[in-house]
Amino acid sequence: MAFNVTRRKFLQTASLAAVSIPLSKVVCAETGVTKASLEPKGTMNDTTVVGGLCEMCFWRCQMVGKVRDGQLIKLEGNPKSIDNGTSICARGNAGIKLLYDVDRLKYPLKNVGKRGEPVWKRISWQEALDECGSKLKAVVDQHGPQGICVFPHGASAKYPMHYFERTVGTHNVSEASFFQCRGVRDTAYMASINEAPEEYVDMANAKVIFLVGCHFGENIHVSHTKNYIKGLQNGAKLIVADPRYSASAAKSDIWVQIKPGTDTAYLLAIMNYLVQNKKYNQEFVTNHTAGFDKFSQSIAEWTLDKAAKECEIPAAQIKEVADLLAANAPNVTIHPGRFSSWYGNDFQRGRALACLTALLGAYYVKGGWLPPKKPKLSKTSWAAEEHGNEHNLNYHNNKMHHPYAPPGTPTELIRDCAISGKPYPIKGCVVWGQNPMQTIPNQEKMKQVFKAMDFVMCVDVMPTDVTMWADILLPESSYLERYDEIKVGATYVKADDKEPTQYIAPRYPMVEPQFERKDQVYITNEIAKRMGHEKDIPVQSLEELVNKTLEASKTTLASIKAEGGIHLQPGKPAGAVPEDFMVQLFSDEIADAGFPGAPTYIPVENVPAGHARLLFGRAPVHSFSRTQNNIWLHHAMPVNPVWLNDTVAAKLGLKEGDSVGFINSEGVKSRTTTIVKVTPGIRKDCVYMYHGYGMVNPMLSICGGKGVDEQSLITKIAIDPESGVHGMRNNFVKLTKDGKTLDMPA
Amino acid sequence: MSETSTSQDLSFFYRFLARCMQYPDPQWMNEDFFQAFFNLVDTLGATSEGQEIQNILTQSPDPIEALQIEYTRLFINGAPHVVAPPYASVYMDKSLQGAFALKTLSFYRAKGFVMEKDADLPDHLIHELEFLSLLVQENDLAGEEEFLTTLFRPWYKQFCPRVGKETRHPYYRMVVNLIDFFTTEEKKDGFQCNEA
Repeated sequence: MAFNVTRRKFLQTASLAAVSIPLSKVVCAETGVTKASLEPKGTMNDTTVVGGLCEMCFWRCQMVGKVRDGQLIKLEGNPKSIDNGTSICARGNAGIKLLYDVDRLKYPLKNVGKRGEPVWKRISWQEALDECGSKLKAVVDQHGPQGICVFPHGASAKYPMHYFERTVGTHNVSEASFFQCRGVRDTAYMASINEAPEEYVDMANAKVIFLVGCHFGENIHVSHTKNYIKGLQNGAKLIVADPRYSASAAKSDIWVQIKPGTDTAYLLAIMNYLVQNKKYNQEFVTNHTAGFDKFSQSIAEWTLDKAAKECEIPAAQIKEVADLLAANAPNVTIHPGRFSSWYGNDFQRGRALACLTALLGAYYVKGGWLPPKKPKLSKTSWAAEEHGNEHNLNYHNNKMHHPYAPPGTPTELIRDCAISGKPYPIKGCVVWGQNPMQTIPNQEKMKQVFKAMDFVMCVDVMPTDVTMWADILLPESSYLERYDEIKVGATYVKADDKEPTQYIAPRYPMVEPQFERKDQVYITNEIAKRMGHEKDIPVQSLEELVNKTLEASKTTLASIKAEGGIHLQPGKPAGAVPEDFMVQLFSDEIADAGFPGAPTYIPVENVPAGHARLLFGRAPVHSFSRTQNNIWLHHAMPVNPVWLNDTVAAKLGLKEGDSVGFINSEGVKSRTTTIVKVTPGIRKDCVYMYHGYGMVNPMLSICGGKGVDEQSLITKIAIDPESGVHGMRNNFVKLTKDGKTLDMPA
Repeated sequence: MSETSTSQDLSFFYRFLARCMQYPDPQWMNEDFFQAFFNLVDTLGATSEGQEIQNILTQSPDPIEALQIEYTRLFINGAPHVVAPPYASVYMDKSLQGAFALKTLSFYRAKGFVMEKDADLPDHLIHELEFLSLLVQENDLAGEEEFLTTLFRPWYKQFCPRVGKETRHPYYRMVVNLIDFFTTEEKKDGFQCNEA
């Protein structure tokens, strides 16, 4: 475009005022830049802000922030922390780049295009909230509260989840942290020891650490990793069962290169060996277990040889592991794991881990499972109301489909109902901090759910893949910009020979939220007002929510801030085994529900000819898809190479760094390609990738389309029968290169 | 014409350009606004381009909504991807609120200006244009030139062609070219360094 005059000449024209004066009448009266008194040069206004609580993953390390001129320029571990100390991980450091990510959601957006192919228009909060409130109310008025389904994830999603569950009254809530992650572990332990195990293992004082699939070093939670490393430094023997030579396997004394899906058979054989050879802790079993005889009979078939054949590992190695555990019991860590939604037989696997811990007497002992005594907090949220089970899909037709389901409703029951309209219509969907496109298997089915809705709203900090399916997309303040979650914990007196100490660490904002980002209490309350629930609102602000939650501890946000962001108080020593602590080796309750009363191995589908089993796990610098667009983390690990056995690679003619795609056994192709990592450190019948890559949404300018989205290849759905939790490792792939499909050699 | 009155006029131009870059809203994007806008465009000799914009606005069933959608796509969050975030740091630091934004703020401060509490980031195009307006209003033409050379042009010369190439609405092509015109000092022989 050319103007027919230069700037200088234009500004010299006699009639300039004739142009400029009309302009002066339509300019904005106020400016964002205003005159002020001069400040002394060199003043950077640097401050240290305390009270940061990380949420780049969900371990919630305590931090301080360095702020310059309102800009957060550095994050560090809070020196007062007795949890992570001054350490934070790569993701924690990179939180700054989430805060200032160019692609972050800034304003409420309305989709004036189609779901899945959005055309966005910025709208006011008033309009956005009016639309969310009226559309969700219309769903409830027409279909009942059960007509709304909710997919929440993360600290900010708890308050809105409670609103929809307790006040609105829908059971159709599916948290990824339960139904696609650790829920099955928790319910298996609940059924076995009457509480969820968390990761309460005293690895620092263990003589043996036994990891079944855990890959510390790649999966990093700072204080937990420190605890693990301290144990290794103290001389603990490390046993790692994993088909892959993981970061943990690389540090192990014994690496058990087990066939995927056979963990339970392996654990049963270890337990049977201990029982048969009377190498179990007879005192603990007598005093703190139930059903030993039935249990022993049930697992008796699992000889070392039988398990060796099933698990494709040497019988002598199973015996070696069992003997090592027995010789060092009870000071052994049988790690309960975390992410456990693997094969659809995972409840039994969790039960086996819980029972093995009991046979070794490794509950409430140094080096074993040792729950800390945490400070108590008040419970503040929407009031719990009884809504009956008439519309609870897990109770439909007076039948409990998955009696050991975690809180909420199993995802697959919600999806089937939403798509079929049976037994009732689900027409409104709220997605809050979760990215169901990359957490829930079978993406096409997820799309069908969104297509079936009358209204979809998403709340997030980033434009993740699921946000493309929203009608209204709301920008949330991040964990660095809001009050929120309170982390509590305690040290073990046995671990460090210091007095036991408890800590309370609420989340404080490090900086003010930018643009028009709002927090969960504001958004939820405003929607609640529009849905007719104003009188039920429990708090007016996040700050009030946190202060009310702190009441039981007799602390406040102000008092803890004055203490440096963390309140420390004398703790209680981790105690001996409570008298009433019982482990259900054989559970009559589980048997009565129609499932095996003793841990039982349920075989999974074998790898079909020409394919490899698709395995996936955590990258050390990423938390799933949540952190992919972070520029520092992206540079640290821009793609997710596929691990391929070196012998297999040679037969396929593939070498390190070759670019490959995938096609799964159901004909679904990967949208993108990745590079090959050739290694002897993986079984021939598997390939492995880090999870969370290959996101679709082109609004993600850094990570979009980089690496392969392994979730897109997980189309076969396995459901753990007891819990209703997904199993996601029963999918099989072939590699593709240059348009050709490569059959995996037998 | 006195230097002071030219500065006053230039100040209005900067303020008007800042107005043009605000999120479209019928409260200000009204008949008076467009009249002033097309008057400026005509004066600069871009009558045919101005006519094209008028045609598109007239033909659109909701011209303001069309501009809102395009603004969102270009400058906020768009599919397939936000085209051109209007922040200097995005181009100079590959991040929002990077070191370049701090440098910009420091420059404001050195000249005796601060950011209002509810303002956007200091390196937002609108605020930089407001700042230029305030500087020339104070007749600080040396400051204007220094700011343009060291803090404005380095990023704007990346931003402007991106919008010009990618926009689907001629209004925004015209706006970024107007800004380019008013922020590019020509050489002494009468030609601009970056011809509009």
